[in-house]
Amino acid sequence: MRMAALDAWYSLAEADWRSTFRLGWGIGKDCCWLMSEMSESFEEFKDSFSYGSRSDLAFKFLKRLDEEQAAAFLLELLHRLGDAVDDGSAESLVQLVYEFQARAYSGPSGQRAPEFQDAPFAPLLRPLKQARLGLVTSTGHFVEGDDPQPFGVESMTQEEATRRILDFLRSAAQLSVIPSGTPSDGLRVRHGGYDIRGAQKDPNVVFPLDRLREFAAEGAFGSLAERAYSFVGATSHLRLVRETGPSWVERFKQDQLDAVLLVPA
Amino acid sequence: MAIYVHAFRHVAEAMKLPRVVVTRHPIGRALGAPGDIERQREVLSRAFQLLQNANAGASLVELDGPYRTARGI
Repeated sequence: MRMAALDAWYSLAEADWRSTFRLGWGIGKDCCWLMSEMSESFEEFKDSFSYGSRSDLAFKFLKRLDEEQAAAFLLELLHRLGDAVDDGSAESLVQLVYEFQARAYSGPSGQRAPEFQDAPFAPLLRPLKQARLGLVTSTGHFVEGDDPQPFGVESMTQEEATRRILDFLRSAAQLSVIPSGTPSDGLRVRHGGYDIRGAQKDPNVVFPLDRLREFAAEGAFGSLAERAYSFVGATSHLRLVRETGPSWVERFKQDQLDAVLLVPA
Repeated sequence: MAIYVHAFRHVAEAMKLPRVVVTRHPIGRALGAPGDIERQREVLSRAFQLLQNANAGASLVELDGPYRTARGI
């Protein structure tokens, strides 16, 4: 089965090359530049999923893999897809994506983070059953009708947010205030840095307001803060550390929280 | 307390965040699949335990169990 998938991949690559060649030949030697315009290296192909011609935030991690790793991912994906045709299971496909995401972001070309030497710690000052908890996420959620309108754009689409990712990365983040009683269908999400399809189907995958309300009602903790907060984590981190973050902390203090649940996108 | 997917575990570790729960989920689904209420509650329960029981910064636990796709969403 694995060899069959390999053969299929090589056949596909060969067919692409042949069609490109024939098109170029047919147009004539005066238009040979068209051939070079149309040819595409494998590196260009895999990189195009990261804000390129094939932009897909679920697969932008391909750019962080080297060509050998990216080829291994695609081959294995096809192989498992072949199995899924018969067993109907998507579990192994999802597992493969998970494994290669982890490899891509924790590898040499992966996501870097500032190193800190100290490990701050604040003990919980009262029992959990009396504690007041808050929710802050960098997942890009907001309440329907209260769009933060980044860059003054009304009803910005997810596609535009993705196209303008560099603008977001240069700008200060906007904090959306979300009343804790907001129903799931009253939430919206937009974030040009990650695949929001899961969050669109169910906000609780990264913004677990329903689950926190349930736990509060069951008495697992004292109370849920009246307001939750969210912003787009693809932002100027320098501004976040120096400007917006400190001002937000003052706001959070007014909510008299004992602990905050943080969910990065 | 923070909830990270495994792909960014090294980021949470580098920043020495106080309390972190790591899940073996795809990016953008830190608490579980859409509609997988059981898993979402399991992840939160683990975060509450860590909130209560951790006694030093950089306390990190990684949850066992793979991401389960939910049907009917």
